[in-house]
Amino acid sequence: MNMQLQPQRTSAETALIDAFGERLSLLPGDGAVMLKRDDAIEAIKHGLPTRRIESWHYTDLRRLLTAVPDFDPAAATKAIAPIVEGSAILAILNGVSSTKMPTIEGLSVQRLSEKLTDGSIAPGLDPYGSDDAIGALNTAFVADGYFIDIADGAELEKPIELQNLQAGGQTHVRLAVRVGTGAKASVVERQTGEGGGLVSSVSQLVLGEGAEVTWLIVQEQPETATHLAQFKAHLGKNSKLTVFFMNAGGKLVRQEIVVRTTGEGADFTLRGINLLAGDTHTDVTMVLDHAVPHTTSTEVIRNVVTGKARGVFQGRINVHQYAQKTNAKMACNTLLLSDDGEFSTKPELEIFADDVICGHGATVTEIDHDHLFYLMARGVDEKTARGLLVKAFVAEVIEELDDEMIVEALEARLDDWFVAHG
Amino acid sequence: MPAVQDTIDRVRKIDVDQYKYGFQTEIAVDKAPKGLSEDIIRFISAKKDEPSWMLEWRLEAYRRWLTLDEPTWARVHYPKIDFQDIYFYAAPKSTPGPTSLSDVDPELLKVYEKLGIPLREQEILAGVQKTDASELEEVSDNVYKSGRVAVDAVFDSVSVVTTFKKELAQAGVIFCSISEAIREHPELVKKYLGSVVPTSDNYYATLNSAVFTDGSFVFVPKGVRCPMELSTYFRMNEKNTGQFERTLIIAEEGAYVSYLEGCTAPQRDENQLHAAVVELVALDDAEIKYSTVQNWYPGDAEGKGGIYNFVTKRGDCRGDRSKISWTQVETGSAITWKYPSCILRGDDSSGEFYSIAVSNGYQQVDSGTKMIHLGKNTSSRIISKGIAAGFSQNTYRGQVSAHRKATNARNFTNCDSLLIGDQCGAHTVPYMEAKNSTAQFEHEATTSKISEDQKFYVMQRGIPEEEAIALIVNGFVKDVIQQLPMEFAVEAQKLIGISLEGSVG
Repeated sequence: MNMQLQPQRTSAETALIDAFGERLSLLPGDGAVMLKRDDAIEAIKHGLPTRRIESWHYTDLRRLLTAVPDFDPAAATKAIAPIVEGSAILAILNGVSSTKMPTIEGLSVQRLSEKLTDGSIAPGLDPYGSDDAIGALNTAFVADGYFIDIADGAELEKPIELQNLQAGGQTHVRLAVRVGTGAKASVVERQTGEGGGLVSSVSQLVLGEGAEVTWLIVQEQPETATHLAQFKAHLGKNSKLTVFFMNAGGKLVRQEIVVRTTGEGADFTLRGINLLAGDTHTDVTMVLDHAVPHTTSTEVIRNVVTGKARGVFQGRINVHQYAQKTNAKMACNTLLLSDDGEFSTKPELEIFADDVICGHGATVTEIDHDHLFYLMARGVDEKTARGLLVKAFVAEVIEELDDEMIVEALEARLDDWFVAHG
Repeated sequence: MPAVQDTIDRVRKIDVDQYKYGFQTEIAVDKAPKGLSEDIIRFISAKKDEPSWMLEWRLEAYRRWLTLDEPTWARVHYPKIDFQDIYFYAAPKSTPGPTSLSDVDPELLKVYEKLGIPLREQEILAGVQKTDASELEEVSDNVYKSGRVAVDAVFDSVSVVTTFKKELAQAGVIFCSISEAIREHPELVKKYLGSVVPTSDNYYATLNSAVFTDGSFVFVPKGVRCPMELSTYFRMNEKNTGQFERTLIIAEEGAYVSYLEGCTAPQRDENQLHAAVVELVALDDAEIKYSTVQNWYPGDAEGKGGIYNFVTKRGDCRGDRSKISWTQVETGSAITWKYPSCILRGDDSSGEFYSIAVSNGYQQVDSGTKMIHLGKNTSSRIISKGIAAGFSQNTYRGQVSAHRKATNARNFTNCDSLLIGDQCGAHTVPYMEAKNSTAQFEHEATTSKISEDQKFYVMQRGIPEEEAIALIVNGFVKDVIQQLPMEFAVEAQKLIGISLEGSVG
């Protein structure tokens, strides 16, 4: 098979490779970092993933990524109001982090550009597999972001809001967060902006023993932006991570969630909603590794598809051979509201241990006619009744979150979307 | 529960190398030279007395095949197959198309007798039951008792005999080997062959199109309900041969047919290739029920030898209100790569897939189905039960898709896996693709081991552990067993018990 001729490069591939040559001298990093960048661009030179690569089966990046914008150093934007009032804001404005750091006890923040320059972040830059195109793209180009350390035992009262705001062009950002033993924190990752840019954003989280973190990803890019994001986490002993994501924008979106339990007793919860409209493509791909015994996870994904939107959810739960007593459950429910829309789902279980309880469920359907009838029989007009049912379908997932402030903030985002999309 | 007790007894009786069909028979054979080339294809075609259009069809497939790469996406691992080291044609010498049973080599008949396959229709009609006093007696008993089954016996590359042909012909049903059909009914073969699985479909189907040697052909005309179960029994005997059979079943408007397939092979240290293609066509209001009990040699306890089973099976619900139902019990083969599918083209058509896949030792199973909803108001149902034991890997891979115009498509999928032991793996890879807002898809999957609670409950009532596990396993697969014709259900239940031997308890 190696005898096959290399297919001709697409214009996007060429643009990325050319951009790397032009940007190279501007990219921060010591020798080790630059070597990682070279490896990463080599991977891109082999071509962007197509549907023949199993993990990209429903998102043929080579075909879908039609254009890559140039870097636009002149583009400017400014920080926005946080979704939860009083949050500590760490903004990245068009790919550049701020030098002003918040002073909160137990929290230390560094600009990622510094960590790249001194090379201390180099080991974390490796893509997680040969099909990790987002990891490779980000490693090649990443110039800034934040490195955050939450001290052992620290309990942060207010959320930290990480704002990644693009204003067009290309931005490649990385957020690295270490949470110490027994620490507690809430983090909001805002992904939005004004331009039709290409964004790659990688978040890396390491949870120490007994740490508890709620991590929210709120993606509201304009319908012209390409958003390629990755969230990676390692869960230490008895730690607890709740991730909530909301995709409500973007032209071409891929959000990867890669989680690995590394300590016994770790618990992972994923809740997510995809609100899809217009002529867009949104892919959420989760890979969850239960690598040690006695760990638990539950995932619930709700999707609403309107317009000509295409949605994808791929979720793979790997239970390693020694990960006995794993308890993992995954559900993906979709409301397909338009005949032009489509949704594809692939919930996978890959299990090598016998003493486990694993299950997944997936449904695709339209609005239940009985429910609709029930409401309309009570004098609610059809449009309102539909709206209520659709909103209830996704709001259910939000309400499961513990923090009231966060629930309210997210419901407000949800309302905004429904107002904008009828 | 006599069936359960029976399973246990059988498991006890048989020692580690539990494959009981592993014998080899010395029969004079006629073989083509090893390897694959256009000349070999011409040789096969000439042997079969085929018309020139058939040869052209084969050659075209072969040329296509040369341009294809072996697929690697399935979760199976095996050394590269050397296609030049395989005999593509092997036939028992004494059978230049036997006209009656008395023409068939008695050695051959013995083989099928040993396997418990009733070829002697006269005796069955007379109610005489003569089999060797082997363990198989009971299996064949069941076949005899449950009524008449017409059998097409395929030995290596050729069909040796087809029973009950006359009686079937009276009803208008054509049941014969595919080679015979190419000669006798070329217009039907021309019309339907390759119309469900085109020659360019996939690597193994293309290979099959080029070199297929025999298989069964069934044609049930308009409005006819086939008066008996039809069955094909495949046996691979020769060393280093590949078996490439091709089955084509056509049910015209309002017709019904139930077809069973069974297969075994001798025990050998090297791997053998089996790449079959099965095509089903159901026209308006027709129904085809296709059941398989697959028991090719799975390899020994160390994973040496065994059959590579790379099969393409597809049914086309071409007519409105047509129905195709696949039921499979997969216990054999070193590697299984098989996805019996339904194309639900006609409005109101429906497809079903019931599967039990049992893997033990070093077996690798990657099996499942595809339900492609194209017509309006189509429905499909998938029930898959995987049981993995020993060092085996058992994967369910399935696809359900509703196309833009498939309004009111319905699917229900349930796939459960059971793990016995901590060295095996069970995997579920379902693909669901909805492009129509009225589609309703439901999918659920679970993986677990036999729960201690269940086992405790049964054992508390005085049932020993081994028996308790067999009881629970049989309960686990019951949904699928119920779908099998009676005579196969009994055999399947026993096979499952035997396949799990060494891991249960």
